[in-house]
Amino acid sequence: MISALRPTLLALARFVRTPTLGRRVAGLMVLAIVLMLVLNLSVLVLIQRTVAFNDTVDEAQQVRLVSREVLTRLVDAETGQRGFLLTERLEYLSIHEEATQLLPDLLQELAGLTGGDPDLAPRVERVQELSDQRLAVMNRSISLARTGRMDEAVGVLRSDQGKLLMDAMRTEIAAIDEIQATRLQFRTRQSEWAGNITVIANALGGVMILVLAGASAWLIRRYVIEIQAARDALDRTNAGLEHQVRDRTFELTRANEEIQRFAYIVSHDLRAPLVNVMGYTSELEQAGRIIDKQMTAVETRAPKLVEQDALTAVREDVPEAIGFIRASTEKMDRLINAILKLSREGRRNLVPEQLDMTLMVSNIADSVRHQTQASGAEIVVESLPLLESDRLSVEQIFGNLIDNAIKYLDASRSGRIVVSGEEAAGGWIVYRISDNGRGISDRDHERIFELFRRSGKQDRPGEGLGLAFVRNSVRRLGGDITLESELGKGSTFLLKFPTRLILPDAGEYA
Amino acid sequence: MSHAVKIVMVEDDLGHAKLIEKNIRRANISNEIEHFADGGSAMDYLFSEEVRLNGPMLILLDLNLPDMSGTDILVRVKNDERLRRAPVVILTTTDDKHEIQRCYDLGCNVYITKPVDYESFAGAIRQLGLFLSVMQAPDIE
Repeated sequence: MISALRPTLLALARFVRTPTLGRRVAGLMVLAIVLMLVLNLSVLVLIQRTVAFNDTVDEAQQVRLVSREVLTRLVDAETGQRGFLLTERLEYLSIHEEATQLLPDLLQELAGLTGGDPDLAPRVERVQELSDQRLAVMNRSISLARTGRMDEAVGVLRSDQGKLLMDAMRTEIAAIDEIQATRLQFRTRQSEWAGNITVIANALGGVMILVLAGASAWLIRRYVIEIQAARDALDRTNAGLEHQVRDRTFELTRANEEIQRFAYIVSHDLRAPLVNVMGYTSELEQAGRIIDKQMTAVETRAPKLVEQDALTAVREDVPEAIGFIRASTEKMDRLINAILKLSREGRRNLVPEQLDMTLMVSNIADSVRHQTQASGAEIVVESLPLLESDRLSVEQIFGNLIDNAIKYLDASRSGRIVVSGEEAAGGWIVYRISDNGRGISDRDHERIFELFRRSGKQDRPGEGLGLAFVRNSVRRLGGDITLESELGKGSTFLLKFPTRLILPDAGEYA
Repeated sequence: MSHAVKIVMVEDDLGHAKLIEKNIRRANISNEIEHFADGGSAMDYLFSEEVRLNGPMLILLDLNLPDMSGTDILVRVKNDERLRRAPVVILTTTDDKHEIQRCYDLGCNVYITKPVDYESFAGAIRQLGLFLSVMQAPDIE
């Protein structure tokens, strides 16, 4: 039994020891309910006991009453007999007869009441015997008196046989009385004791329930206070967090603005000297041409005067040097313009709108159809999911990537560019731009996204700007761009955008 | 442009100043050109009594100056009772549309971006010269 209870008890102990408020309150409630049940039960037992006690009292009283009645009737019978013997008047005899007629019923009742009682039954039997004997003695004397033998009848009376029987009878009845009295006393004490116990138990239970209720209330109060404290702490943290976020956002916005401004200023300040370099290069070229013209004039008129070195310098070295200077400055100008463009794109306001991507990409594909048709390539635009983002940026991103794909197709096979897309988990949309072009070597997968960096054979025009611009734009739209590519097989650019563009610098932080 | 009109050029880059002057001359504009390499000396000149005596003038203004922004000079000129009618031509490397808008808002008369490509630059200055040759400038009173 105990071994079977053990796991249950252990589980209960674990439950009770686990300090959560719900469990504690539940435990207290269970305890209170158990106490209530115990109290109810004790009251019920007490009531039943009281009922039983009352029955016992009734029964005992009945036994006493009936036994006394028996005695009284017997005394009546005796009185009637004696009266008859003394007066020989028949009305005394009728008293006697009346009593004797009642006696059997009374005795039977008494036997019924005490039947099965080990203490009382033998005594009642004895009472019956004594009564029978006494009646027999009485009847003998009466019948003697009736037949006129009065002396004999009185002799019977004088023999004290009757008195002895009556004394024995009285003793028996007193004994029955005594037994019942003792029993009643005992029962009363028992009943009082049970009553006291119940009262004490009730009082204790009441106190316990009050204590439990108090404990529950205290626990709940403490819990509520804890919750309030936690909420206050959370509020404070939230407020602090908001403040922090605002500060950080402000700092970030400022840093970002500074970078944009820096790029802008730098590119402008770089442009100013470039104007000079290019301007004076042109001036120099012009001056060179004038000198060349002069040299030609001198050469025709006085060939001996002209040195071959001077001619080479004017006609080859100077134009060559000027050519390099010009090419470099032009390149530098393009690079500066590229930085400017990036910086400007970063400053442009984004306007999110619902974009039909299938239509947009199809339009881009149409706009480059002359290029694809010339090289026998095809662009397949699958059904693309809708996107809510900035139209211009998205157009530029796809335009750049498709241009790139066309630019770096492999001439040895017919080009095929596939644009596909699907919705991804977590509110993202993924677009793929796959080509079967020349592919990008592993070590360049990150590098190609950097400004001015290019990959593979440098046989196509470009500044290494497109992908840097694309990644910049994609990130600004809250997305990301990655590359899967194998050299010689083709490339797939994976664009990941949030389904809805939410501008981070909205409202007060702008 | 009448001969008396003086061109006041505020340009910190001496190279640019020279190239501008060369190309203005190539457009057959022979007006006197007064060059200032910083904002301070240009302001001193513009707000001196001497200017009044020199008759009508036209201001060629660069925006990126070492000591101040060209727009500061523009604001001062356009808010000045005497100078506000003088035509101001902004000639700068910046082609930022906000900057352009701002200059016109402040009252500049012409805004020209210096092209980096020299052919375009020279062409622009020569056209400016042609424009100057037909332009009327008010007197400074």
